[in-house]
Amino acid sequence: MTTRTLMLEGLEERHPGLTRRVADSFAEAARVCLDRHHTSPIPFRIDRGENSCEAEAAWESTDERTKLAWANTTDTTRDGAYCIAIAAIEVTDGLVAVGRAETHTGADYYLGEPRERLEDLEKSLRLEVSGVDHGILTTLRGRLAQKVRQAKDGNSSLPAIAAVVGFSSSTVLTADVNSE
Amino acid sequence: MSWSDLHKASEELATAAHLALRDGDCAAAQALFKRSAKAEEEALAQLHSANKPRTFGITAVSAVALWYKGGDLAQAEAIAYRVLGHANIEEFAGMQLRTLLQAIWNVRAQEVAGVSFAPGQVQVSVRGGEIITGGAPLDLIIEKVQTIQSLFYRTAEWMKKMPLRRRGPAPKEIQEMCRPWLFQGVPSSYQFVVAIERPRQQDWVSLDSPDPQLVASTFLSILKNAIDDPADGLSKIIPDKQYKTAFLKLARNLSPTGKVFNQMEVRAAGDASPVVLVPESRKLIGLTLKADAPPAGEAMVPTTVRGVLRAVHLDHDWLEVTEEDGENVRIWNVGEALDDVIGPMVNHPVDVQALKDNKGKLHFRDIEREE
Repeated sequence: MTTRTLMLEGLEERHPGLTRRVADSFAEAARVCLDRHHTSPIPFRIDRGENSCEAEAAWESTDERTKLAWANTTDTTRDGAYCIAIAAIEVTDGLVAVGRAETHTGADYYLGEPRERLEDLEKSLRLEVSGVDHGILTTLRGRLAQKVRQAKDGNSSLPAIAAVVGFSSSTVLTADVNSE
Repeated sequence: MSWSDLHKASEELATAAHLALRDGDCAAAQALFKRSAKAEEEALAQLHSANKPRTFGITAVSAVALWYKGGDLAQAEAIAYRVLGHANIEEFAGMQLRTLLQAIWNVRAQEVAGVSFAPGQVQVSVRGGEIITGGAPLDLIIEKVQTIQSLFYRTAEWMKKMPLRRRGPAPKEIQEMCRPWLFQGVPSSYQFVVAIERPRQQDWVSLDSPDPQLVASTFLSILKNAIDDPADGLSKIIPDKQYKTAFLKLARNLSPTGKVFNQMEVRAAGDASPVVLVPESRKLIGLTLKADAPPAGEAMVPTTVRGVLRAVHLDHDWLEVTEEDGENVRIWNVGEALDDVIGPMVNHPVDVQALKDNKGKLHFRDIEREE
């Protein structure tokens, strides 16, 4: 398995769908989540079928003030997972976050080719992300199955990539959800 | 300007709105959502549903969602109706627009009722098994709604640092502080919405009463940890062992066995990731409860009693189960059981875990409802 680098910082430089503030926010959340279980650097296992690989994640550890600011565990895990998942798909598929659109329950990110001007979202892939703080592989697999089901329900004509990030297990599981 | 330029402008404003919301500046967030909605509506006008159906659908949902989050329900509704009238609207967009319309109608109904609700409604959906679109067995839904209500009240009691209540309903001050209401959800699987009413009479509410919105978000956090990581994760936010056991048992009561339904999702408005309860959740919680239970004494034999829970006398410390062959079995030492865990199980099939002593007397350990 080839080892690569999971680049958590500066996402906005490579992903036009992220503003600098959002990218910084996601990266900070990821650092808080990683600090709960690990010391930098660590290998992340990315399960992506034929493109599966190990990627090293390195980060600056967070201070107490930052940890307190991210005390809401649920939001932190979600935002940290977005950071890791977007960086992971960039490594395995070469795709970047090209846009975002609001929904009733939040917002969805869309993936596309880097350096292409976004004319529409007809060929973009929707990204469905979930984060698990503690949890063994079985938990992550169960969550991935749920995300795949969720990606299909109510969005049956939109192809998507579902990704589950396990922080304690330093694993990213992915699955493709194809349009019907 | 092109769709791309307008959508990009809308995205940036929406991002700023979400960050303002996270910083607690609701007024700024709402103003930004409105500006974002206007840009997104203009982006939508650059598209034709026949030429770019996916982009049209995504942008339409986004525009309606942004107006809704900006508080302009009339504009959100108008766009939703207009887009739903298109002949070739994509199915995913149609479903999401109908979800948004239901959310708008719920807000309107609450405004007309003159009741003030805390922001942050909780949406519950059940699916699978006997559940059909827009319909579910009444006894199942009543039981789940009662359990959710119990979870809300216990969350409020825990936040107020009250000792664990074993008997009777929640104190009036708790009920008045955060009264859950039931609203219609969108017919996709079976859904309902729980909203927390703000206290009407301020003299019921003491200065140290937690904010109802905080009760709702804490409730979700407790439920998420009870499901995702019942052993360690829940202990971190609920260090009190008695409360932890109470929350685990209530969360287990919510979880499906797989017979009548096989999945429940609980999410807050605006939350992309729901708490998902599946039959495995019930098993995982059961293992945690077993591991946390005090050890059985010597000469005590574990046993399971299956049947219908016919009688409960928590003050006299027993409950009675009628087995399939008609025999009534009494189980003692139910003292540790909670009213709101056992109450909904009366006249329903149950599994009671007990310990048999050397005189044949059964001592209560745990109880689960069979669907």
